[in-house]
Amino acid sequence: MERQEIIDGLVDILKTVRTIDQSKLENVTEETDFIADLNTPSTEMINIAAKAEQKFGVEFEDDDIDDLGSKVKDIVDLILRTKDRA
Amino acid sequence: MVTTGRKVAIVGMGGAFPDCRDLDDFNRKLFSGESLIREWDQALAHGKNIRSTVSGFITEAEMHLEPVYSTLAADYPETYIDLLGRIPDTNLSTADIGSIWSMLGAQDALKMAGWTAEETRSEQTGVVIGSGGAGHIILRTAWHNFFELKRKTRLAGSHTVDRTMVYRDAANVSCLIRNQGVCEAIGSACATGLGNIGYAYRLIKFGLQDRVIAGGVEGTSLETFIGFDAMQVLSKGFSAAESSRPFDTSRNGFVCSFGCGIVALEEYELAKARGAKILAVIDNYHNNSDGSGNMFFPSFSGQKRLWKGLMDGHEIRPDVVKVHGTSTPVGDAIELLSVVDVMGEEGYHISAPKSQFGHMLGAAGAVELIASVLMLQNQEVLPCLNSVQLNPELENIQKSADWNGPEKPLAGYRELISQEAVKKEINQIVCLNYGFGGTNSAMSISRED
Repeated sequence: MERQEIIDGLVDILKTVRTIDQSKLENVTEETDFIADLNTPSTEMINIAAKAEQKFGVEFEDDDIDDLGSKVKDIVDLILRTKDRA
Repeated sequence: MVTTGRKVAIVGMGGAFPDCRDLDDFNRKLFSGESLIREWDQALAHGKNIRSTVSGFITEAEMHLEPVYSTLAADYPETYIDLLGRIPDTNLSTADIGSIWSMLGAQDALKMAGWTAEETRSEQTGVVIGSGGAGHIILRTAWHNFFELKRKTRLAGSHTVDRTMVYRDAANVSCLIRNQGVCEAIGSACATGLGNIGYAYRLIKFGLQDRVIAGGVEGTSLETFIGFDAMQVLSKGFSAAESSRPFDTSRNGFVCSFGCGIVALEEYELAKARGAKILAVIDNYHNNSDGSGNMFFPSFSGQKRLWKGLMDGHEIRPDVVKVHGTSTPVGDAIELLSVVDVMGEEGYHISAPKSQFGHMLGAAGAVELIASVLMLQNQEVLPCLNSVQLNPELENIQKSADWNGPEKPLAGYRELISQEAVKKEINQIVCLNYGFGGTNSAMSISRED
């Protein structure tokens, strides 16, 4: 799975999160920070992670979620790493 | 105990009312003598597994709300869209349906009160709102996913706590209006609505707060409904409009309803000084417990003591007694007898508004207080629908050897209860509500002097 394909999938998830300013989703890159750039409420991060698990058919380890950074590339890396582990 | 202190005014009202667009619609339908009770599709869908199928319910669409269902868990409203843009998405994300009604009711009450942003956000402004039940649909989903489906906790989403905690309604309203005073919830079963407003009244009266947004809520919930249905205490066998029939001989249970009532309370002199419209003045609030050791059965002596506490040191001569009047066989009889014992056989009317909208449980006391303020404003007693015939025979409690209450059967007090609205001068109304556990609450309100 290509990294851009994962980013596109993440943006699709973010479009369903009503507490995120949708106008900020037009230029999401690997360096975009969920919290600093998108003002994502911290309580929504776990929901986004859970929806990413569902969308990409993976199951994250709890420790990986605990250590997850707040940039898009962090969750892209985690998805690919988890897929590799499987 | 005689309480001295400051006076408290009701300066704003709002809420969510079954089959009504808003407070004005509620006012119009109530005084037109309409019933707000309907056959409930959610109950009907369960066929013979549910005895009662009528309710004063509120749909999401009626409140201009649209649920957003989660992709993670079936039938789980992850959040709601406010189609009228009244509540920001951030606040909606932490709210169950009852909390959303509370926020909408608080907005309306604040608008009517006319408090400035500075006043609303003051340390002297509190929020006291309670609910009878929990955020059931959210808990049901979270628990089903974890216990039955054996899935990870995160798949139920991260808002299970804020959308279900006991004081979620108060917390959500507080986060919306950003007050800096107290934020709490009082729970006392079906006395919750009046109990929260009574507590808020005391906060102002005793000088702890100047303003409080207060009330009670019961969000639409089939879980709540089936709990009472299992107890066989819900009305059965009548058409929807005829199913809530306080004091009538054929009454066989209450109608489980849902709703929300929010009021804005303010210290009287502050309200007067800024030229606020005073909707009513609270004369006194009193609450107590039966002390009988019985969770369910109401107490004649407990209710008499309630009146005594309410009247102690206060001029309480109501033109209307707004009773709890649920339409249960035992409760209505004891309540009517205790009212007559204290108030006598004439000179006032009894109003039982549950005849029109059913029993809103944790919201009942708050919504019925609002209905009482409307009676003050309209100078009209609401009709007691379906109270067609009162028992011409003595109640069992009246036949006991140690009975020392009214001697006539309920039918002897027929003149107090009208099936039609009554136009008359109304200067004072006493509101009564009771709850499981033997808790009793009473508030007296008056027109401004």
